[in-house]
Amino acid sequence: MSPTATAARPAKKAASAPASVPGYAGKLLRVNLSTGKIWTQPWAEDMREYVGGIGLGAKILYEEVGPKVHWDHPDNRLILATGPLAGLPVWGTGGLTVITRGAQTDGATSTQANGFFGAALKYSGYDAIVIQGQAKALSYLYINDDTVEIRSAAHLKGKDTWETQEALETEHGLSGHRLSVYSIGPAGENLVRFAAIQGDYGHVASKNGCGAVMGKKRLKAVCIVRGTKALTPHDARGLVQAADDIAHDLKTDPGTSTLYRWGTLPGVSNLYKLGVLPIKNYTTNLTTVDMTTWEPAKLRAGFDHRGHQCNACGMHHCHIQVIGKGPKAGELVDEPEYEGWSGAGWQIGLTDKEAITWLNTRLDRACLDVNEFGWVCGWVMECMEKGHLTEKQVGFKLVWGDVDGAYRLVQMISHREGFGDVLAEGVKRASEKVGGEAAKCAIYTKKGASPRGHDHRGRWEEMLDTCTSSNGTMESANATHQTELGLPGRINPFNGEEVARMVGGILGRKHFEDSLGGCIFTFRTRIEFLARALSAATGWTYTLADAIRMGRRTAAILRAFNLRCGIGTDLEYPSARYGSQPVDGPAKDHNVMDQWERMREVWYETVGYDIKTGKPTRETLKKLGLDWLAKDLWRK
Amino acid sequence: MAKVDATPALSATVEVTTWVTRHVGGDGSGSKLFTESFVPGETLGQVLRRFSARYPELDAALWSPDHSQLGEHLEVVVNDAVLGVTHQLDTPLTGGERITLLGQFMGG
Repeated sequence: MSPTATAARPAKKAASAPASVPGYAGKLLRVNLSTGKIWTQPWAEDMREYVGGIGLGAKILYEEVGPKVHWDHPDNRLILATGPLAGLPVWGTGGLTVITRGAQTDGATSTQANGFFGAALKYSGYDAIVIQGQAKALSYLYINDDTVEIRSAAHLKGKDTWETQEALETEHGLSGHRLSVYSIGPAGENLVRFAAIQGDYGHVASKNGCGAVMGKKRLKAVCIVRGTKALTPHDARGLVQAADDIAHDLKTDPGTSTLYRWGTLPGVSNLYKLGVLPIKNYTTNLTTVDMTTWEPAKLRAGFDHRGHQCNACGMHHCHIQVIGKGPKAGELVDEPEYEGWSGAGWQIGLTDKEAITWLNTRLDRACLDVNEFGWVCGWVMECMEKGHLTEKQVGFKLVWGDVDGAYRLVQMISHREGFGDVLAEGVKRASEKVGGEAAKCAIYTKKGASPRGHDHRGRWEEMLDTCTSSNGTMESANATHQTELGLPGRINPFNGEEVARMVGGILGRKHFEDSLGGCIFTFRTRIEFLARALSAATGWTYTLADAIRMGRRTAAILRAFNLRCGIGTDLEYPSARYGSQPVDGPAKDHNVMDQWERMREVWYETVGYDIKTGKPTRETLKKLGLDWLAKDLWRK
Repeated sequence: MAKVDATPALSATVEVTTWVTRHVGGDGSGSKLFTESFVPGETLGQVLRRFSARYPELDAALWSPDHSQLGEHLEVVVNDAVLGVTHQLDTPLTGGERITLLGQFMGG
């Protein structure tokens, strides 16, 4: 049996060529790097069920990547998908979703980035790119409408992601929004397990080592000329009305106006008040630093900056800025997201704002996930402070807040030099290899996925989501407009049952969002608005119930994929440090592990999965219209 | 000589933070502090309703559309603990509490 073979699918009914659906390009671009074959595949017949993005990617992953096709096998698929709203006049619709079997968990991955890729891809005539095989030498994929070529990337070898984009812009004589480039830096080329895919200067598909998958395929970059093909929505007026409602909601709703004005910057000062800002590898939740200087307006005002919006976006979120003082003065950097301030800053004891912005961009350029780097670097710093790691082992002395030392670690990891080769495996594998007291200090999930840049000991819903999810990161994230789904407006964050009911109750919402081809932040609006936009774009009648059903179908398929990969319920736990009780701060009286098993029970009941096997129950699958998956999972 | 009310007045500090300050006359940064007096037996919910009633924008942001319960977009933190941990809306205040209104932060 071929390692790529999967269970037999029901024969499809013979049908004439499906009619195209408005809003979509109607084609998938297929690329086999091993053979050099490039072809297109019409796509329309099951669009309503899978929509796009993660929904489409989950289907392809399940059908085409068998259990023996590990993350580094040439037959693994790297799917770069967008969705039906990409390229249309809805805020933040340059969305890219990367779906693959990732390097950290060796399981399903779905991770999002923005910029202009999704719009450029749609304007070129494709809804997604499905890449398989492995190139004989480092290559890049060039797309200019119907011209699609695999080209040599020998001249790009070793370049970081910003250098790669600059080189391709020069090569093709195109810049700005006329060329979208997503690429890997040295970390991806050297198969670092937490390598990311970075694009359009500051946008990162960062989770579960998707950059290592791209590196294994010897694919340096995907470069798309902004295409010339028109997209025609079914109901242009209705689409604009829905887009206006989304924009108005983002501007005025108390929950999202902060995102509209400052993106994710408010996280630093706000989450500190809740004990959710990770400080020095979870060794404390308190600081003597004046947190009023970390409020969003002051963070932004500290730099000469300008907006760097994604496709069709009116948010005051993404910015490019210049470092104004210190040893890196004059350097152009991307304004860090909240997770940049935490992963490249607070988590490693660094509170010099100029140094953090510089390090954050250096991580993007090397293509390292800032979250996992924070857990790795903070772990090394704590272990060296406590004597669990020696200068001889690491190669130099690294202390809290040492930005030059942290950057030295970036280089060692990216090129797998010395101890960097151990760290390049991620903190789970590195700490297991070192063992002893050092192993007890590492922050990770048992699946190997990186927690996001929060201290989840004060935000249990995200810890539960991270540990139970099937996409290599959080699959439900924190609740947004949950009252739309009949869920309570607020819960006691330290009541495990309430937490689990909330996390289970919102399952599917984010999968639906991530199928549309837009941004996680501009889509933090009411599902009703998103469903209206989808309906106007496509001509379907899509309701809130349809949206959640679609999302839950996708979650079930990814869960089934992971179970087939051997990722089971025994791995749904945090590491000792990740699940520890805080020693100080607002969450110090609460120990998540006291309620963990009950939380899992309630979560399983709520989502309709079987806690013993981890499988969605037959009843759940039947309700979701996934009878074919029930046959695979339950074998009868 | 005026008659002194025998009921002792208690007070709590209401801290409105960062962008939420725009609803109470601030510029969207820093914190604005208010001292709210109340009589023994009054609950957190009563004090919050009386406070927000003076600021229509805050009132709209803090409560659900029918005003029956808190909305879902502002965090209420009492003495560093999120609502639901040590205090509910019907918990009587005892004086000296610090009630913080914090904009909900979502992800990323």
